[in-house]
Amino acid sequence: MKSFANSNARDLQHAVTLAQQTRQQGHAAAFVGGGSDLLALVKERIVGPDVLVNLKTIKGLDQVKPANDGVNIGGLITLDALSRHDLIRTRYTVLAEAAETVATPQIRNVGTLAGNVCQRPWCWYFRNGFPCYKNGGNTCFSFVGENQFHAIFGGGPSYIVHPSDTAVALLALDAKFRIAGPSGERILPAAEFFALPQQNPARENVLAPDEALAEIQVPVTRMGTRSTYHKIMDREAWTHAVVSAAVVLEMDKQVCRSARVVLGGVAPIPWRLPKVEQMLAGQRINEALAAKAAETALEGAKPLAKNAYKVPLTKGVVRRTLLELAARG
Amino acid sequence: MRQQNAPMPPLKTVGHATPRIDAAERVTGKATYTNDVRLPGMLYARILRSAHPHARIRRIDISKALALPGVKTILTHENCEIVWGAGGISGGQQYNDDIKKITKHRRYVFNNPVRFVGDPVAAVAAVNRHVAEEALRLIQVDYEVLNFVLEPEEALKPDAVKIWPEGNLSLNAQNQAQPATTRRGNVEDGFRASDVVFEDRYTTTFVHNAQMEPRSCIATWEGDKLTLYTPTQGISNCRSDTARDLGIPQEKVQIICQYMGGGFGNKNQNQDADLITAMLSKQAGAPVKLEFTRKDDFIGVHGRWPTVQYYKVGVTRDGVLKAIQLRGYSGMGPYRKNTGAIGGIDLYQCPHIESVIYPVYTNKTVSGNFRGPEYPQGFYGIESMMDDVAYKLKMDPVEFILKNMTRKSRDEVPYTNYSLEECIHRGAEAFEWKKRWRPQPGSDGGPIKRGAGVSFMAFRSALGRSNAVIRLDAKGKYSVFVGVTDIGAGAKTTMAMIAAEALAVPLSKVEVVWGDTDRCPYSVGESGSRTTIQTGYAVIQAADALKRQIAEKGLPTGQNVLVGSASPNPVLDGKVRAAFGAHFVEVEVDTDLGTVRVLKYLAVHDSGRIMNPLAAKSQIKGGAIMGIGMALHEDLIYDRRNGQPLTAGFYGARLMTHRDAPEIEVMFIESDDGYGPYGAKSIGESSKVPAVAAVANAVFNAIGRRMKDLPITRDKILGALA
Repeated sequence: MKSFANSNARDLQHAVTLAQQTRQQGHAAAFVGGGSDLLALVKERIVGPDVLVNLKTIKGLDQVKPANDGVNIGGLITLDALSRHDLIRTRYTVLAEAAETVATPQIRNVGTLAGNVCQRPWCWYFRNGFPCYKNGGNTCFSFVGENQFHAIFGGGPSYIVHPSDTAVALLALDAKFRIAGPSGERILPAAEFFALPQQNPARENVLAPDEALAEIQVPVTRMGTRSTYHKIMDREAWTHAVVSAAVVLEMDKQVCRSARVVLGGVAPIPWRLPKVEQMLAGQRINEALAAKAAETALEGAKPLAKNAYKVPLTKGVVRRTLLELAARG
Repeated sequence: MRQQNAPMPPLKTVGHATPRIDAAERVTGKATYTNDVRLPGMLYARILRSAHPHARIRRIDISKALALPGVKTILTHENCEIVWGAGGISGGQQYNDDIKKITKHRRYVFNNPVRFVGDPVAAVAAVNRHVAEEALRLIQVDYEVLNFVLEPEEALKPDAVKIWPEGNLSLNAQNQAQPATTRRGNVEDGFRASDVVFEDRYTTTFVHNAQMEPRSCIATWEGDKLTLYTPTQGISNCRSDTARDLGIPQEKVQIICQYMGGGFGNKNQNQDADLITAMLSKQAGAPVKLEFTRKDDFIGVHGRWPTVQYYKVGVTRDGVLKAIQLRGYSGMGPYRKNTGAIGGIDLYQCPHIESVIYPVYTNKTVSGNFRGPEYPQGFYGIESMMDDVAYKLKMDPVEFILKNMTRKSRDEVPYTNYSLEECIHRGAEAFEWKKRWRPQPGSDGGPIKRGAGVSFMAFRSALGRSNAVIRLDAKGKYSVFVGVTDIGAGAKTTMAMIAAEALAVPLSKVEVVWGDTDRCPYSVGESGSRTTIQTGYAVIQAADALKRQIAEKGLPTGQNVLVGSASPNPVLDGKVRAAFGAHFVEVEVDTDLGTVRVLKYLAVHDSGRIMNPLAAKSQIKGGAIMGIGMALHEDLIYDRRNGQPLTAGFYGARLMTHRDAPEIEVMFIESDDGYGPYGAKSIGESSKVPAVAAVANAVFNAIGRRMKDLPITRDKILGALA
């Protein structure tokens, strides 16, 4: 591993300052929370920061705090703590379920929510150090290569799939992201935080250099809301979603008042399905509607040479998740 | 000699479930594994590996790396020209000095040209790991990139790049470019005598041994004596191979392997890591520790050879085999580390058989020994094929197997005992085969479908040479000296149990001295599932020798000791010795999502008398789980355009986790054929052999689609059902 220095941050502003100073001195800085993704990237020499700005020394940034209009979740909360938190489990089930599907217990014990949302892709070309868009090059090797696990929506020029489970859940919950940076703080809706490769093929979100994801604000869920996360994995632990679905339904007895449906594992960003959501609003979710929703969900899908199976798979996931959640009382 | 299948009187120690005698050391962290060894002044080493699948090295500039503070020495093909004998030899035979001498396609520890991504280019020893790693980045290699070929069938095409001057068909033990051919009868006659002839193609992929412990090695020289701490499956062979490769006498090499974390065949013989570490240490004048990363281990050692298998099978309408023809291609990587055989068709009774196997050089990672080397992939092919034939004849696969499976080895030589029919009958009954198996494959209503599959096996349990020494001191302690290592199968405990039994003393009176060539006599090592049979037998003989001494001289007193030793080399009287087994699997396939779940798994084995039921059951479970992983998960995927491996490592290769492993039920049919220690036969490898085929056949029974390419992943299942 390349050697690096560690700088402990007192608070968010200090963290940003440390990162800025490092960069101004001509060195590379990286924010580190749990480090489960970053250190692996450093070991593989995918990234080579000179200074790690340690966020774990910032107090209070790992808490779930009820707010007037919902709940604020510190970015440093571990995935394990998040998945066990009572309020999250009961009111924001989709987020707890997403967090508990991540990786392994060891990784969930150190990995943080912000780190999971900002996790770099697990495309094998990127992780093996190919000179692809994500590694500063100007090509995507998967497009004509091994693309079994790559994007069927929103691809081009990079065809990675976004690796985060919690990001999919947070978009379904209509969360907002509080970001600390050199010019103070800004708050972005989840939908504006993630960025397609057309916008910037090297990155997966709009974080500028020296910006850190500090907190996630989730709006209150209305009465009758139920939610779930369904993740398809190629083994029972320690792997990313082949396809996943986060579904939030606001139910009025048997009728769906409104729905938010977001897919993971199919696109370079968490992939929302507005047409499906409209189709479900005001309806009873039965077999026929779920099947129609699944068909609609896959409209416009553009499979690559080796991932056509994701089309029937995603249909199956959407249909079953809707039916299963609607049937939950 | 006892009668075949004679009733077995129970024994005192052998046959009783016994925890490992070193379990506490292992789980408390006290056990010293190779990578725990630290010597004063020890340097750390790292290997630079080829980034290209095939390239000629024009020039290597190590000056910048040498100038890095803390770097002590660097080896490349320019200053270290050592042939790694076990790394590649004509015919892929092992343990054979004569064939190694004639080998044309010699593998050096550093090769030029480099022939796969991962071929070692340079090794650095430095004061610590980080400096060694930094130094790798400062080595400048000027490559002339050459064309490459990844797939064995493509490699045999006339326009394919030649990886060796003689072409890509690997040379046999006579240095001829000929496929390995076996014939019995005449298949054309057999096809003419058949009512129906079926043809099909099956493929299997490279899967890595994926043992828990990545390779590491520590070398130190005292004068002209080399000591290597290395995780090896055979200290004796590691010593003789290392001495030969370095051109020094065997007695000047000491191999120490105490605790180790598995190998499944990729720690046989010596390794290039041993030679590289020895040479770094010699050149640096200090002890050196070389450590492999997980990626090094995946691409730099070896795994199971991928195969392409074309079968043609002729049968009568009532399901009697008349002819089996196999044309097979095995991808060996660019060096021949094993035969590349494809086993299985010899386990069918059939008058006309022809097997032609092409071991082919490719620019992929090297293939070699991996648990039942030629069988799991071969059985997947032939037993999928036979399963398919049974369905096409509207026969129950169990009936078809019973009708056609081996009764004598290669239809000619009797087995020392035979229990395959019993394995299948008892297994089918306990598994409730008739209830779980669907006469009409894929007939379950709804998207979630169940099905059952079966496969069987016979696995060599030959006798052979070994040694043991037992010393008794005045305190009544029996020290058993055996040249075994403990790869994970529990050899140390097994040897102690056999000694306790033979000496008629409690297990607590026995200690085992193992894993050190300076202290222990020759043992064949933990390969070929032979340790219990061979070294266990030597332990009994040594115990007998010691008992004679005691009878003659009385128990030792004061500083006196008594020593019994034995070097038996027992032989069979014109018979073949084999372990038998049958696996029964029920799966559930979610046809909407392509998910396969193993619901029930029964493994029935005859491994002779079971020495330690606790360890033996674990061996069966482990092999079955590995087989499920090979059937449903694992693959080293390559990018075809640039020859790079993409899935090296536990994450990428999708190895099974504990949560993926189903409950495996194990049933033993015990027998004593009069050979081996108390009638013990082989276990370790055999448990993986039928597992892959049984799972694949169950998937067919569930969905009605024959999966002809491993691994049977979600994309293939959904593709087949689309």
